[in-house]
Amino acid sequence: MAESSTTGNARSGVAAVSMQSVNKWFDQFHVLKDINLNVSVGEKIVICGPSGSGKSTLIRCICKLEDHQQGVIEVLGTELNEDVANIDEIRSEVGMVFQHFNLFPHMTVLENCTIALKLVRRKSQREAEAIAMSYLDKVRIPEQANKYPGELSGGQQQRVAIARSLCMNPEIMLFDEPTSALDPEMISEVLDVMVSLAEEGMTMLCVTHEMGFARRVADRVIFMDEGEIVEQNDPGTFFENPVNERTKLFLSQILHH
Amino acid sequence: MARASTTIECATNARAAPPPLSTGQQMVRNLFGSVTDTVITIICAVVLVWLAYHVIDWAFISSVWRAEDEPLCREASGACWSVIDARHRIILFGLFPYEEHWRSALACLVIIVTVIASCFSWFWTVKRLAPLWITGFALFYLLMHGGLFGLSVITPERWGGLALTIFIFASVSLIGMPLSVLLALGRRSRLPVIARLVGLLIDLVRSLPLLTILFAAAVITPFVMPGWLQGDKLYRVIAGFALFFACYQAENIRAGLQSISTGQDEAGLTLGMSYWHRVGYIQLPQAFRNALPSIINQFVITFKETSIVTIVGFFEVLASGHAAYGTGEWTPHYIEVYVFIGLIYFIFVFLLSRYGAYLEKRLRVGHG
Repeated sequence: MAESSTTGNARSGVAAVSMQSVNKWFDQFHVLKDINLNVSVGEKIVICGPSGSGKSTLIRCICKLEDHQQGVIEVLGTELNEDVANIDEIRSEVGMVFQHFNLFPHMTVLENCTIALKLVRRKSQREAEAIAMSYLDKVRIPEQANKYPGELSGGQQQRVAIARSLCMNPEIMLFDEPTSALDPEMISEVLDVMVSLAEEGMTMLCVTHEMGFARRVADRVIFMDEGEIVEQNDPGTFFENPVNERTKLFLSQILHH
Repeated sequence: MARASTTIECATNARAAPPPLSTGQQMVRNLFGSVTDTVITIICAVVLVWLAYHVIDWAFISSVWRAEDEPLCREASGACWSVIDARHRIILFGLFPYEEHWRSALACLVIIVTVIASCFSWFWTVKRLAPLWITGFALFYLLMHGGLFGLSVITPERWGGLALTIFIFASVSLIGMPLSVLLALGRRSRLPVIARLVGLLIDLVRSLPLLTILFAAAVITPFVMPGWLQGDKLYRVIAGFALFFACYQAENIRAGLQSISTGQDEAGLTLGMSYWHRVGYIQLPQAFRNALPSIINQFVITFKETSIVTIVGFFEVLASGHAAYGTGEWTPHYIEVYVFIGLIYFIFVFLLSRYGAYLEKRLRVGHG
């Protein structure tokens, strides 16, 4: 943990994520249109918008799960281009949590968390297990360490997935609809973990429709539609006085049903 | 707390499930459920008992067992197992010199022990599996070929029988499996050139019969390849067979790889894992589990297809059997020889299938 705070300080002048005129196409379909976005270290961003608006694609570009065709993306000052060394460096700084958890079903919870520590960070079995247990503790699930993902509930699996990402000690966490695949009664246990992560000062970009979460932790809420950032503001202003008609329509649809 | 109270509520309304029918009760219900069922059951039972009686009588009661009792065979109504007693060495060891048969037997044992050892999960890392197989094969080769430690040299054209069958099967599997993994990965490569070339190779090899490939390996390659690259005919045939095996197995493994969601690979990517780490720790373990039935199937087919090497002049177990009843007094007793060989095939294939079933159970851990 000490390690992360020193690197954090050294980079305090640099934006966590900076996107300048980023464009992306899937074949002929223009998914991201001239995206400009700056996220400073420690900032918490919530991205919302109708399905197909490009919000998932946007955060997937930040960890290079998708390529962008135009514009510049920089993560902690390193440009995301075809340079493999840069991609590796950025991926080791950025953690990602998926809608469908994507835990490795053939490994126990503990092995899910230690595998990358051992292979990528070259930790010994004992060190890796100690680190993994500390994060499983943090997501309040240490007693499930030796079970397989298939034996856990959705909420528990998503908490393990968060712990697995945290084990790599990332500077930035990306969440791609982390609660959308969960049964309603399990959403809050995952959001609680995310809230406590936010309170510790983690830089976070969350694609989510959990507006309660957005109000509580977001520094900025971004509304995307048809590949564009339509509106962004602090949560108070965003929810009380949306400016754009499309934002108003979207908010009325998700808040009053 | 909420959960505890609901279970209590359930408990008050719950009734015990009726006891499940025992297998015996189920059989009675299925076999004697109606008059028609009862009649069919009785007819089938009579036929089965009659068949079983004749088979047992032929194989055990009226049969002749010892080689020196061969003259009795002519009067006996049952099987003449004397042929096996007299000729089993040819079936097992082919044309291998008689006084060196112990070497061939020991070599078989070495390969079988190696195969059994590698079935244990303790050996399932390259660091342990590679030395095991290299030692196993080196020992096999030393025993069969000789030339060291005062063992006389016996060249591969005199290898034969069960020993040769096992050697071919083990070599084809050993060379073919890693090759099939590489082919499967190659066909899924993101580089179009590699993916197309590998796809072309697989489709080409699969569109040829095994026989053609073995012929090409045995007969045609000496004309096209430089002498130093040829090696013995046996090794060329094994190489061709392994390529054929690998192309089929690659498609099984590819099916296994395709059944894994892309999210698995993405999770590995975002954790910073390299391509080979993702392949070795995330993709292949799941691909093998998903494709296990067809992978085992391919092994079973391959074990039985080893008999095709007879065509290019090798005396594997089936051809040796042919030779075993081919002389003088034993010619009438080919049925006994084929039953014996059938039994050998059955033992190997059955063990392979059971191992497959065990693996399936083991790999299902954590998959509900």
